[in-house]
Amino acid sequence: MDATQDRSNRLSVTRAGGQLITDYWDNLFKAREQGKQIVWYNGGALNPIFQAAGLAWCHGEAFAARLAAQRLEGPAQLAGAEYGYNAELCSYARTHLGCSVLTLGNQGHKLQGNEGEQSGVVGINDSQELAARLPSPDFFVNNYAGCSTGQQWDGISFRVFGKQLPIFNISHPFLWGNKPDAGYLRGEEWESASRYVAGQLRELISFLEAQTGRPFDYDALTEAMTYIKRAAQLRREGLDLCQAKPAPATFWDWIACVAPINFLPGDQALVDYFAGVRDEIADRLAAGVSGVRDEKYRLYFDGIMNWNKLGFLSRKFAEHGAAVLCGRYIHNAFWQEPQLIDTADPILGMAQHYLLCPTNHGTKTLDYLTLRDCRDYDVDGIVFHSTRTCRAFTGPQRLLARSAQDKLGIPSIFFEGDVADASFYKEEILESRLAAMLEAIDVRRARGGQLAGAISS
Amino acid sequence: MTRRYLGVDLGSTTAKAVVTDAGGAILAASTVQMGAVSQRGMQRAVDAALAEAGITADGLDGTVATGYGRRLVPGAARTYTEITCHARGTAAMCPGVRLVIDIGGQDSKAITVDADGLVENFAMNDRCASGTGRFYEVLARALECDLGELADLARRGGRDLEVSSMCATFAETEIVSLLAQGLPPADIASSVHRAIAARTLALVAQVGKRAPVVLTGGVARNRAAVHFLAEALGTDVQVPDRPQITGAYGAALLAMESAGRSPAGPASGSGDADMSVPMFPGPAESDRSCAGCDGVVAPADGATKVKLRLITRAVTG
Amino acid sequence: MPDATAPLARLAEAARDPRGYIERWRSAHPGQPVVGVLPMNFPREIAYAAGTLPVVVQDDQQPVTEGRSLLAEFYCGYTRNLADQAATGRFSGYDALFLADHCIQLIGAADVMRAVLPDIPVFFGMLISSMSDTWAPAKTAEMMGEFRAEFGSFTGRPVSDEALAASIAAHNRDRQLIRGLFDERSAGNAVFTPGQLQDIVGSGMVMDPVEHYELLAGAVRAARTAPRDDRVRVHLSAHLCHAPKRELLDLIEDSGVIVVDDDLFHGRRYVSTDVDETGDPIEAIARWYAQRNVNIPCPTRVQQDADWDAYLVGAVRQSGAEAVIHLLPKFCEPHMLYYPELRKGLDAAGIPQLLLETEHEGLPAESFRTRVEALVERVRRKRPVTH
Repeated sequence: MDATQDRSNRLSVTRAGGQLITDYWDNLFKAREQGKQIVWYNGGALNPIFQAAGLAWCHGEAFAARLAAQRLEGPAQLAGAEYGYNAELCSYARTHLGCSVLTLGNQGHKLQGNEGEQSGVVGINDSQELAARLPSPDFFVNNYAGCSTGQQWDGISFRVFGKQLPIFNISHPFLWGNKPDAGYLRGEEWESASRYVAGQLRELISFLEAQTGRPFDYDALTEAMTYIKRAAQLRREGLDLCQAKPAPATFWDWIACVAPINFLPGDQALVDYFAGVRDEIADRLAAGVSGVRDEKYRLYFDGIMNWNKLGFLSRKFAEHGAAVLCGRYIHNAFWQEPQLIDTADPILGMAQHYLLCPTNHGTKTLDYLTLRDCRDYDVDGIVFHSTRTCRAFTGPQRLLARSAQDKLGIPSIFFEGDVADASFYKEEILESRLAAMLEAIDVRRARGGQLAGAISS
Repeated sequence: MTRRYLGVDLGSTTAKAVVTDAGGAILAASTVQMGAVSQRGMQRAVDAALAEAGITADGLDGTVATGYGRRLVPGAARTYTEITCHARGTAAMCPGVRLVIDIGGQDSKAITVDADGLVENFAMNDRCASGTGRFYEVLARALECDLGELADLARRGGRDLEVSSMCATFAETEIVSLLAQGLPPADIASSVHRAIAARTLALVAQVGKRAPVVLTGGVARNRAAVHFLAEALGTDVQVPDRPQITGAYGAALLAMESAGRSPAGPASGSGDADMSVPMFPGPAESDRSCAGCDGVVAPADGATKVKLRLITRAVTG
Repeated sequence: MPDATAPLARLAEAARDPRGYIERWRSAHPGQPVVGVLPMNFPREIAYAAGTLPVVVQDDQQPVTEGRSLLAEFYCGYTRNLADQAATGRFSGYDALFLADHCIQLIGAADVMRAVLPDIPVFFGMLISSMSDTWAPAKTAEMMGEFRAEFGSFTGRPVSDEALAASIAAHNRDRQLIRGLFDERSAGNAVFTPGQLQDIVGSGMVMDPVEHYELLAGAVRAARTAPRDDRVRVHLSAHLCHAPKRELLDLIEDSGVIVVDDDLFHGRRYVSTDVDETGDPIEAIARWYAQRNVNIPCPTRVQQDADWDAYLVGAVRQSGAEAVIHLLPKFCEPHMLYYPELRKGLDAAGIPQLLLETEHEGLPAESFRTRVEALVERVRRKRPVTH
């Protein structure tokens, strides 16, 4: 598709964010040389705690996402396949575990084959690949709410690294809502789960003190969380500004902002970045500039991100005049309720955010959140990313589709893709179903009525 | 007296038959293209091989059958899986091989073999067309060329277009849409070859890459497939002279071992053939019985009566 | 000489037609509830002590139809079957659904069932799965206490310590009897086929433990012993949560294999551990939960000093198995994640192995036969020559 047909108008400030991220990873690759201790972790954003503890941190999923976004996931996934990981396994885990294999390979460990230099589908000359550059960890911390695979993941990395390294697990109760008082951010189960996780975060801090040999710097935590809270507030402002018609920025811009909010240090640069995002959006609003040229449709995108296809998807939706405005992965994640954080004593608010992982809610809560956002953003249709290897995200999707149709008359489509494995992506399905849904929306508008049923399942 | 052994590989789209002598040399080989697991096709392959070797069925000293249809081959003293047979045959044709990749019409396999040419580990893809001969047929059809021209076309391709889909059906729509965008068929062909090689690499990953590598099966005749696989593996890929008959050849060699003779070749104390007991006994024989069959098969034309020496499968259960 | 056939047939009937058993049980126990519990760690003892019949919900092996509109096709077969049962009225025999495990697919299925069955309570008490943590024992006991309270509310009657003790004793007795059969098989008694053992365990998941024990005791008294024949001896591993198809077990044994041990859920895993009958029953049940993962480590639990791979190698040495066949149901993530460690461990121990991925619909018999026979060919080659 040539540039003149590209109706997407991405924020320019996100390029600056790209540089921040590149610098972060380059710095991490040198952490070992710089004499830093390195923690590998997955799940909720523990980085402010690691920052306060003076550690270098590596979020496994974030690295897998980066590889996929740069189309460099191949060697990691092959290394994972050779080690024995099935292609149907969560591709985040599979990619990152493949990185573990490559990192160990760099250290001279023979994990696959015992036939000499020619062994392994990924040869030793691949050590220059991005996928092989992660420095090995000194210990693991797992902080995964919702998805059981997420929790098991670091326990497996622990075994891949020979069961030699310390590992700390934080257990998160699923926000099921057994009791009648259960609801979003309220109820007895919410309160007791919050306290339970907060207690484990304090245990984590003791664990880190033991690992680092120095007392934990609570002031540094307060400082980091003050910046992160501010950045999160700016992000929320920006998100809210996108309710305008036409929307000044889209879901894809927010996807490009995930990495900063997810794992960059809590500091002024982070705040400046999100201030820049918010400001560019506000400026566009004032100037009447939209995220999609000639916005015709407003859509909700449910599902974990299809990292291999970020640019492609943003152009494709824009091509149809469809502005994708909101989605569970952006709006219900990543420090999304900054008001919960008391910077003077942030542990409880942090614990609550980790519990608010988008895969840690039952459909009742997700129904509330999704329909709320659909109303707030005046959404015409929902696109569900049926993420092949992510069962956590896709579980409630069918029910959510029905609910959106029944309660708000909003149609939806499902398309097949995956979080980090491009071979599961089925282009034709998305194209034909998207076109069909948009046509149906046109018909509905012409008649001024509601559609009879969802387009496809 | 000269001894002769027959190996029959009754696969999903082809039947192969090989006759060997007591030294393990191939005296005759025949391949018959057919519909799914066809006994008629198998009989034609066997008859052709026997004729080429100048003998009749009575002149055989042992027969082993392999492939999906191995139990349908009358006269076979025993059967072995195509895993074991491909490994044997390829190791005999290409001594020293450590990794056998067999890509047939509908399935693909990766087999690691030890220093004696015996199976260590294997992985199979026989549940979908991804990475199999079928994929090349889909490609050829979409590009409107025959399989012979396809290899040349692919070798000329330059740009790598992203053809990532694993499913043959979706690959076809993907290819058609690339053509619709006016992209050069050569680039499309090479990209699909590269994608198939990547799928094969993933199969190899399951057993571990070893070298030397030998590619067998119908797809081995496609020089572009060999080229792109070698590129993906980062190592040379050998193709035996007659890549389609490695399974039948291995079966014939096993027939020889079963009859008490070792082939002249890599000396090995423990061959594949376990002569002491029936190969696949079911649970205690007294519990199992067939429905009164006398073990003689008489085809409708009455021309040949064949005495089944196969272990019959239980009817109860 | 009494015949094992009749009691075994009744056990098989309960295992294969749990709904039929539930109906008969209801007739015999009017007014008493039947609760569905999801695998693999829910403490049946507590539910039974409350006067309910706790049934570990079985995959009823019918093709998934309406369930396809509820859960994606890449959910495991068991969870899609659960959704299908709920969507098509095949779950009407249950008065409630309880879940203790945190597998995201089980949670997804229970969530969908909750939406489709609004009239029955669906209670999820998530047991901690990070087993090595210092707070794990206390949290587990707390959750077991919550189950007890929940059953108290559900039935309208608190669950007494005496009822708990009796329930524990009944379950232990039944477990020990079943476990004895697995130990005997591992030691060389080949009288029961894998299918029969699956029926024995499966019926144990469905039936009143007292009734199950009586029937099984009758079958065991009457059973002969039988020596192993010369087929290749195999350990069957995993297939968590639901039973492998009987046709698959038959196919495996028909391809030159004799199964001598397993760590299937519908096998050793279900009966691996007894509950301590001394002390506080809730604390004892909490310890049972922890001990299960030590006795046979499960990939759904995270515990650094319990190694499934080491267990598997040990089990193989114990039974004299010559190879392991891994049964991995498609999309079972805990198994997919741990499998490479198993493969590594067995390779290091020189134990041949084969991976079979099972699907909910369809059994690719020829494909599986080829694989199993190839394994057999390889193993037979390595056997010491006896002539």
